[in-house]
Amino acid sequence: MKNQLKNIILFICVFAFAKVSAQTSQDSTKVYKKRVLETTEVDFLSSYYTQSGDNAAVSGGIGTEALTDVTGTIVVAIPLNDDDVLTIDAGVSAYTSASSSNVGPFDGAQPADPFVASSGASSSDVWTNLTASYSHSSDDRNDLWSAKLSVSAEYDYFSLGAGGGYTKLFNEKNTEVSVNGNVYIDTWSAIYPTELRPFFGGNGINNSLFTQNTITGNANYNPIFTPFANEGRNSYSLGFGFSQILHKNVQGSLALDFVQQQGLLSTPFQRVYFADVADSFIDNFQLADAVERLPDARFKVAVGGRLNWYLNETFTVRTFYRYYFDDWGINSHTASIEVPIKLTDKFTLYPSYRFYNQTAADYFAPANENLSTSDFYTSDYDLSEYSANQFGFGVSYTDIFTKAHIWKFGLKSVDLKFYQYDRDTTFSSSIITAGFKFVVD
Amino acid sequence: MIKKIIMLAMVTSFFSSCVVVKEYEKVNINDPDMALSEKKCDRNLSTAHSYREAAVGANGGKTGGGCGCN
Repeated sequence: MKNQLKNIILFICVFAFAKVSAQTSQDSTKVYKKRVLETTEVDFLSSYYTQSGDNAAVSGGIGTEALTDVTGTIVVAIPLNDDDVLTIDAGVSAYTSASSSNVGPFDGAQPADPFVASSGASSSDVWTNLTASYSHSSDDRNDLWSAKLSVSAEYDYFSLGAGGGYTKLFNEKNTEVSVNGNVYIDTWSAIYPTELRPFFGGNGINNSLFTQNTITGNANYNPIFTPFANEGRNSYSLGFGFSQILHKNVQGSLALDFVQQQGLLSTPFQRVYFADVADSFIDNFQLADAVERLPDARFKVAVGGRLNWYLNETFTVRTFYRYYFDDWGINSHTASIEVPIKLTDKFTLYPSYRFYNQTAADYFAPANENLSTSDFYTSDYDLSEYSANQFGFGVSYTDIFTKAHIWKFGLKSVDLKFYQYDRDTTFSSSIITAGFKFVVD
Repeated sequence: MIKKIIMLAMVTSFFSSCVVVKEYEKVNINDPDMALSEKKCDRNLSTAHSYREAAVGANGGKTGGGCGCN
């Protein structure tokens, strides 16, 4: 398999460079050099996300998945000169989650229950991110180099990332090939379900959690628990892109991404309940038999394409398709269509539909169906078989003359969108997004 | 699967044989809604998908790493 993939990569590289050499000569004419970015642009992006479902991975595939998240991001693109652009991207995402609150469900406030949120510290978290990107374009604008550095942190996860890319345009800028690579060096600060913690370096079943509460079902509670020795996770991605103008009203693109991940790919606080271990409970909450165990490597391949068609001054059709597979046994199809409808020169509507499906990972089984004798197991329904439909609607306001001003910032566009996402399981979510684009005078 | 990928690579070669559209004919191609990428305001939606779905990549967005997601 790896050899075949290597051959495919080689083929695409040879193809890309052959085309570049063939076309370079016709692009050698000296052209007027326009600034890559005329003035500083500032984007404010925000969203409000909610979800619900009955298959929380934290409580082994049984329990509330209720979650809300509010995200705010600012993206500032600064032209350093005619050719170079520096982009600073800073974001904060704050969530409250009923399922992650049940990492520690025995708060004493009410009977422990996987369908009821508890009041523990794990019920909320804040994710922060800072990314700096730099891009340089050649004088003829046919070559583009880019590099980026990123850092992000949340309570139990820290990430450092670096990446770079190269894009070549030719055939009178009708054709574009690109290659990019990214590396993420991530570290977990593993948090485990509270009932498991006494079983490593603690007093086990004699812990006050078990002496002050009554264990029902199997009173001889004895989980399988050893903390993960390695809390690092490294991700390496390599992507190839190709886009082509097919007609003055049609253009398309193809993308091929390879991702290799290594390290702790399990989520340390996600419980598993085994079929071959008797169930133990405190109140209505089933005590973990173990936490999920997944392989320490994963190889992902995604190939996708876009085709956009400018039908007329009112309608445009935007389509996307992706096929994905990985060596955990997941195959997936994603297809989407969006039809922007220009009502006036300022207002555009964005109705859209997206279909998604995936097969289950080899290691997935619902609650109480995994076996303790297996090497790997999870009841995370994000790794189960399902299909999902998403409907969206948005409206955009654009003023190319930026008449409306806030201090030195001219308002160029406002985007508002709503999406409703429903799986064929109990899971559903919705998101409202808003984007404001300003240009500095 | 491998056959499908090779087929896609072949399709790319057909793409490149299309007629050349001159700069002055690119008014419609340069329309913001014709961009071969997601709109910026959809970025948080893509992030939500990358957290809750196994499939990532090939859409110009995140491909893995940088979060405790799948």
